[in-house]
Amino acid sequence: MTHTFDVLRDILVKDYELSAERLTPETTLADIELDSLSLTELIFELEDQFSVIATHNGAGLNTLADVANYIDGLVATRDGAPSGPSP
Amino acid sequence: VKRVAVTGLGIVAPGGNNPEDFFANLVAGHSAIAALPAERCTRLETRVAAVADLDAAQHFPAARLRMLDRVSHLAVVAARQAVGNAQLVFSAEERSACGVFFGTGTGGAASTDEGYLTFYQERSDRLKPYSVLLAMNNAAGAWIGIEHELTGPNLTLSVACSSAAVAVGEAWLRVRSGAAPIMLAGGAEAPLTIGTIKAWEALKTLAAEDTVDPAASCKPFAKNRSGFVLGEGAAVAVLEEWEHARRRGAPIVGELIGYGLCTDSAHITRPSVDGQARAMRLALDSAGVAPQQIGYINAHGTGTVANDPVETAAIRRVFGAAAEKIPVSSTKSMHGHLLGAAGAVELVATLLAVRTGTAPPTMHLDVPDPECDLDYVPNVARRVPSIEWAMTNSFAFGGTNAVLVCKRV
Repeated sequence: MTHTFDVLRDILVKDYELSAERLTPETTLADIELDSLSLTELIFELEDQFSVIATHNGAGLNTLADVANYIDGLVATRDGAPSGPSP
Repeated sequence: VKRVAVTGLGIVAPGGNNPEDFFANLVAGHSAIAALPAERCTRLETRVAAVADLDAAQHFPAARLRMLDRVSHLAVVAARQAVGNAQLVFSAEERSACGVFFGTGTGGAASTDEGYLTFYQERSDRLKPYSVLLAMNNAAGAWIGIEHELTGPNLTLSVACSSAAVAVGEAWLRVRSGAAPIMLAGGAEAPLTIGTIKAWEALKTLAAEDTVDPAASCKPFAKNRSGFVLGEGAAVAVLEEWEHARRRGAPIVGELIGYGLCTDSAHITRPSVDGQARAMRLALDSAGVAPQQIGYINAHGTGTVANDPVETAAIRRVFGAAAEKIPVSSTKSMHGHLLGAAGAVELVATLLAVRTGTAPPTMHLDVPDPECDLDYVPNVARRVPSIEWAMTNSFAFGGTNAVLVCKRV
C-alpha cells in the first residue's frame, strides 16, 4: 500500500492543492472534503497511473487507506494474484 | 409593474475584462480581433478570432478549475464581477428569491470537442469523468448559482445568437413582474475550438482575414464585408427592482425598460425584415418609447452579406424618417461575434453608450454599401450627449429576434 498511498498523496497534493502533512492513510475522504464526484475523478486518475480499470465508483471507501487498498486489489486482480493488501 | 435597475455589470470579453476598459476600447476603435496562433489553425481556413484574455487558473482553485469548461470560467468570473460592482450582499431571503437566467449557444464546446478527440481520434475509451458536467449547456448558469448560493429559478436559454438577449429579457420580465427582487442575467460562449470553428466554416458565414490588418477582418455594413469573426467571452448584468436598489443605495448603471421577442418561423438561417422590425416594435412598445426618442442602436450587425441590409431595412421600417438621425453601430467589428453571449456583451456597450453619451463606432467601414445606408458611426466614436434611450438588437439562427431597450439614469 505504501507506494500506492504515496502516488495517491501526490495526486491530492498536486491536483487538489492539499498539504501533504494533512494526508495520512487514516485521513478520511470527509476530512479533505472529497465528495463522491471528486472521488470518481480521483479513481479515474489512479486508473491511469496504475493501468487498472475500476469496477465501481468508490462507494463505501472512507479513508485514503481504503482507496489505496482498493487500487492495490485492482492491480492484484490485473496481475492474476489473489486480491488483498500488498506487503 | 416594477421598474428594473441595472445595478452591476460584469464582462470578460475581447477588448476588456471590466465594463470600463471594454467600453473605452470600443470608443477608441481598438479591435480585439487578431490572427489566431498558427498552432490553433491546423486544418482550419479561419485565421482570425477574438480571444478573451482570461487565465482561468488565476480565478479558480485547481480542483474547481478542472470541473468547469472555459465557457463556465468566463461566465463565473463575469458574474463575480457583476455582483461585486453591484455591491451586492445577498440576504438569506434574497438568495431564495433570486435566480440566474443565462444564455449560451453551445455550452462547453471545448469539452465536447475534447471528448470527441479522445474517443474518435485517439480511439481511447478514457473520457473524463466530468465530461458531461463540463459540456452541458446549463453548467455556466449553474456554477454562477452555486457560487452565489442563489436558489431561485436557474434557467439556461439557448437560442443561438439571441441567447443572452433573451436571458436578460426574460429575467427583466421576472423582476418587472415582482417575482424576483434581483436576477443575474447574461450569457457566455467559448466557441474557439477547432471542431466548433470548423462547423462555422462549413456555413460560410465567417469573415475572410484582412491580410493587411487582421484586426479589421470584420466589416459590418461595408460593401466589402465577408462575414463575422468568432469571439469568446461572457457578460452578466444584475437586474434589480428599482426600489430594492434604492433602499440599499446600490449604484445604478442604467434602467432596462423594454424587451421585444418574436420568432420568424420561416427559415432556419435567413434573417427577415418583418421579424427584426417586429421585435424592435415590441421592444419600443414595452418600453413606452417612441421611435424618434431612441438615441443609439447597437445593431446586431454581424457583417454577413445576409444580415446587414435586412437589419438596415428593418430599422428603416420601424424608425421611418427618424432612422436617418439615429447613430447605429456594430461593435462586433471590434469584439467579434460572441454568439450566445453577444446580447449581454452588447448590452454592456449599449448601457455605457447611454451612460457616457457616446456612440461607439462601427470600425472598418470604408467602402459604403448602397443597401446599407444608415448612420453607422463609421470608424470614429461620436459624442451624443442627448442619448436618453438606446436599443440593442440580437437576431439568431432559428429565427429568434430579441431586442432590449435601456434608459439613462
